Amino acid sequence: MGPPTGATQRRQALLWFIVVSQCVSALGCGSHYEFGIEDLCLAKFRLDMHELGERHWCSWEDTVELYGRLTNCTNLVAFKLGCFWPNKLVDDFFIRVHKHYFQDCSLSGRLLKDPPNRILGPFIVVPILVTLLMTGLVVWRSKRSEGIV
Amino acid sequence: MDCTSFFFALSPTARSAKYCGEDGQWFRHPDTNRTWSNYTLCNENTKAKLKSAYILFYMAIVGHALSIASLLISLAIFFYFRSLSCQRITLHKNLFCSFVLNSALTIIYLVAVVNNPPVVARNPVGCKVLHFLHMYMLGCNYFWMLCEGIYLHTLIVVAVFAEEQHLHWYYLLGWGFPLVPASIHAVARKKYFDDNCWMSVETHLLYAVHGPIMAALLVNLFFLLNIIRVLVTKLRDTHRAESNMYMKAVRATLILVPLLGIQFVICPWRPENRLAGEVYEYIMHILMHYQGLLVATIFCFFNGEVQATLKRQWMQYKTQLGQRRKDHCSMRSASYTATSITEEPAFMYHHDCNSEHLNGRRAEDSELVALKLGDMYA
Repeated sequence: MGPPTGATQRRQALLWFIVVSQCVSALGCGSHYEFGIEDLCLAKFRLDMHELGERHWCSWEDTVELYGRLTNCTNLVAFKLGCFWPNKLVDDFFIRVHKHYFQDCSLSGRLLKDPPNRILGPFIVVPILVTLLMTGLVVWRSKRSEGIV
Repeated sequence: MDCTSFFFALSPTARSAKYCGEDGQWFRHPDTNRTWSNYTLCNENTKAKLKSAYILFYMAIVGHALSIASLLISLAIFFYFRSLSCQRITLHKNLFCSFVLNSALTIIYLVAVVNNPPVVARNPVGCKVLHFLHMYMLGCNYFWMLCEGIYLHTLIVVAVFAEEQHLHWYYLLGWGFPLVPASIHAVARKKYFDDNCWMSVETHLLYAVHGPIMAALLVNLFFLLNIIRVLVTKLRDTHRAESNMYMKAVRATLILVPLLGIQFVICPWRPENRLAGEVYEYIMHILMHYQGLLVATIFCFFNGEVQATLKRQWMQYKTQLGQRRKDHCSMRSASYTATSITEEPAFMYHHDCNSEHLNGRRAEDSELVALKLGDMYA
């Protein structure tokens, strides 16, 4: 068989072009998106967290703004590329971020919790006992003042 | 899966669902072709719940406003009519003052903090101070009720010949002591559960304030039951009239203590059912926010002596209006004797203060008192 004729070439090029464009629009929410958020969003986040210092990574007050910015950035990139947000890629992305930055934070670190019972107990029992003591004192004193009279 | 309760209006008892198809894939919504979870049940009641929350909010404000109004009227009555003054009325006045301050502070707290998310988000120190003051005034309310109970107990059970008791200790217990639980709560909250404006009620640290309050209510109930026991057993057989009189004096306090305390007893038991839960919320809010009105009504407006005094004043006013033109001395002295006549049999009806008058001041009753003393210590 000889080299493909011009018509075939053109048809092949057209076919290839169609396939590639389909791939691009499919990849638009695939690797393009992934590259986008890695380059645009994660780089900035990495820089900011590095500036903050590893000691403060588990502190919610210090990281909430940076985290919010990262989230908004992924949202924006998705919007620009015409992708849905959230999607599976961004979910995986955030799981990776969490694994790297927030792995060692205590589970309850960001949620307010009661102190353990050995601390909570005295805080409740002591006021009750003081109340009963004070009541007894007042009853005793009012009794005694009658005795004097 | 349960709807998450991160937003209070989502019903945590409703369930969200995600469907798994036969091909092992999660259900995809036909419009967007994305995996889709069914959260519709979670917020089907959100509008109704928000509406209900607003109704309860306004009900609370109305309740406290009515309480303040009725309490101020009662205080005006107690201060204006000097004839009513005695030690028990002094305790009532202090109780009413603490209720007025508590209601005022609650209204300020509800309007300025609870209904104001920007303030909560900003989390200024002022809102925590306000919360501390709120806890303090709540304690004052219940400790003044306790003072009333201790006073009655000392009067009736401990020392029948109660000359004027020294009220200093009562003032200390009513105004000074509630600072202790409030401060302990503030310190604990700051150290261990420092949420925005300390608004959360999900913490057990609140028991640092509610625990002493419940203890005070229980002690109060115990004292009052002891008084009833003494009145019923020791005085029933010999001095029925006096026993009835004391009983009526105690009745008001005995009605109030359970009513004030019942909110703490049923608080932890919110029903799961939606309708029952709403009814529960309404009942709890009525019990909590209309207490001032209840106290003013029972201690002042339903009090026989107060009613008699008001009637007398009204009669005098009418007489004076009618006879303003005629300025005869004889007419005026006649009206004075008329009022003094009405005072005499007044002690036969239930009067808070006459129990004290009976103890020391009336010569004609000293014989009765001596008899009673003999019975009590026999």
